[in-house]
Amino acid sequence: MNQVKLQPSGLQVHQASDVTESHLALEADVVVVGSGAGGAVSAYELARQGKRVIVLEAGPYVPSQAFTEDFTESLHTLYQDQGGQANSSGDLLVLQGACVGGSTVVNGCVCFRTPDFILEDWQRDFGLSELTAEELAPYFDEVEQNLSVHDNGEHEIARHGQVIRQGANKLGWSVKPLRRNIRQCGLTGHCLSGCKTERKQSMLVTYLPWAQAYGAKIYADTRVEKILTVDGEASGVEAVVTRQDGSVVATMTVKAPRVVLAAGAVQTPVLLQKSGLANRSGQVGKNFACHPSLLVAGRYPQPIHPWRGAMLGVHVDEFMHPDKGGFVLEDGGFGLVEMTMLAEPGTGKPFMDYMADARYLAGLVTLIHDHNVGAIEWDGERKAINYQLSDADFPSMKRAIKAAARLHLASGASEVYVPASDKRVIRSEADIDEQVDSLENQPQHLRMVSYHPQGTCHMGADPDTSVVKANGETHDVPGLYVADASLLPTSIIVNPQITVYALATRIARHMS
Amino acid sequence: MKNNHRAPLPGYMAGLEPLSRRGFLRTTVLASAALTSGCASMFGRKDAPETLEYYSLKQDEIDVITRLTEVMLPTEQFGLPSSTTVVPTVRNIDNMAQRMPKQTRDLLGLGIWVFNNRPMMSFKFRQFTSLNDEKALAYVNAMQEGAFFERGLMTTLKALIALNYWRDERTWPGLEYHGPVTETWGVRRLGNAPLPRA
Repeated sequence: MNQVKLQPSGLQVHQASDVTESHLALEADVVVVGSGAGGAVSAYELARQGKRVIVLEAGPYVPSQAFTEDFTESLHTLYQDQGGQANSSGDLLVLQGACVGGSTVVNGCVCFRTPDFILEDWQRDFGLSELTAEELAPYFDEVEQNLSVHDNGEHEIARHGQVIRQGANKLGWSVKPLRRNIRQCGLTGHCLSGCKTERKQSMLVTYLPWAQAYGAKIYADTRVEKILTVDGEASGVEAVVTRQDGSVVATMTVKAPRVVLAAGAVQTPVLLQKSGLANRSGQVGKNFACHPSLLVAGRYPQPIHPWRGAMLGVHVDEFMHPDKGGFVLEDGGFGLVEMTMLAEPGTGKPFMDYMADARYLAGLVTLIHDHNVGAIEWDGERKAINYQLSDADFPSMKRAIKAAARLHLASGASEVYVPASDKRVIRSEADIDEQVDSLENQPQHLRMVSYHPQGTCHMGADPDTSVVKANGETHDVPGLYVADASLLPTSIIVNPQITVYALATRIARHMS
Repeated sequence: MKNNHRAPLPGYMAGLEPLSRRGFLRTTVLASAALTSGCASMFGRKDAPETLEYYSLKQDEIDVITRLTEVMLPTEQFGLPSSTTVVPTVRNIDNMAQRMPKQTRDLLGLGIWVFNNRPMMSFKFRQFTSLNDEKALAYVNAMQEGAFFERGLMTTLKALIALNYWRDERTWPGLEYHGPVTETWGVRRLGNAPLPRA
């Protein structure tokens, strides 16, 4: 191993603008597809073992100092499909990072361990007997320490979090500070546009530079098109290096006996489908879940300024267990752009009233434990996210909206805006049932966003019903691994980044 | 492009005949995608609207979007910069349309056409742009409470307009929105995190 040398800031990344040849032929011990939570951790762990690691990222390299704190612009530069990735009916925006560092660059820093009852489900229903809370605890401990995960301090709970906490206490609901992976939060409120001052402990400032310190090489603007095999075993990948406009600069092959897929729960199954691999079970792309979330806004009599301070402060876990509702509420800050899209207060004067009152609004994000009813499909030209909120999950969604409304009212809100396509305003407890029960589970009726796609190459003991073993290797193709949220057999209710970090660490350490 | 779609638009719901259900749904998806993708790197935010030139939107599309902007954002009543004479909302949308792939641009045009020409008996089958303020508002509300594709279309068009108005920094002080702050506040960069201890 060469000398370990960590850059003080930024990364050395091979980009399309650096390419002078029409074809690049590379070799490595491991090629990692994707540089987000799973890819970066895998790269570091494997490079640290002395392996020659190459990381291929389809998105661009945007260094922290280039972040703009302009959400609209950030959608264009940092997000998958320029922020326009949606399900087939267009009522669920699926927001994923598409840049070096992946979604960890643009997330809200929220960290939860996989709930024990979820792990128990996986053991019982998917034969994942190894994945116990005790087995995973050391991995959780380690990644949390590496990423400075901590309970929000009082200064990290902004005004919107404070009022929500008061309301929850009034209702007697369990409310806790969120845990976040951040050092000395700058309280700018611009998490979703990337952390300009490198305080968010995203992969961009942690595992990727660490992997690079151990010799890993990172290629941006490089989209993997096919996984290669020899005699049924993984042997590398074919990729194209593209400019921002999508035009191809060069082709690339990477020969490597180990391929780790960590492109996220939408792109990873697409790549397997394009390659025609690892799908004996027929489960590649199936089993999609995504924690469809709503942002329920409440209007308060006092100024809140929802864009000020840390974006996410506290959460209500009173209803987390499926027996109690199967949803979580997180207080959420937002800016003007998000405000224009999150509710339907009416047109003309009502809309202007709503926007003019922006400073008086606070938000609650609902996350539900949805069933894995969706599918990612590749038709030869384009991917499709076929997901509609299931009728089985719709009651959970309504319960979550009702709880959010109740919490806002208890916190002192005078109006609560139901995030539906028609105008629905709750002004008292008596309005809640009327406004929410009449919601219909129809396309374009709720304004949903998913930040947590998962489950599309799920783990399991049975090769006939699952894609990947508990150690991350596909059942069908030796040497081909998955290390992202595609692995998760069920939705986990909570923000999944810590789960992915822990599983990716475990997978890398078990890799032969 | 609209002419390509006008010919097979004979009547009420049949007006959407050339669009399969999936095709129409794609309209809303792509328009949503365009909504976000096209908004980056907007230029000319400070231009006075009277100097504006339009490069992608056709005149009838400009008329529809301008009228919808007037109905949706009566800004002067709220002491905010005008959404039509100060902030170049429609020109911003034009910039966005310029950046759209052809298919997306075509679908956006179709969406605007469908919105303006949606035949509704209660409005005597008149186009949106020919309605007075009161009727125009009622038209929007009727679409907002309509079938799923109408709701989707309305949501998309309204978001398109709102986004392209409120992304202009001149609209922020009135709402006490601070916009980007790191450089203003002088928050220092921390750099890469130290390597974990073995």
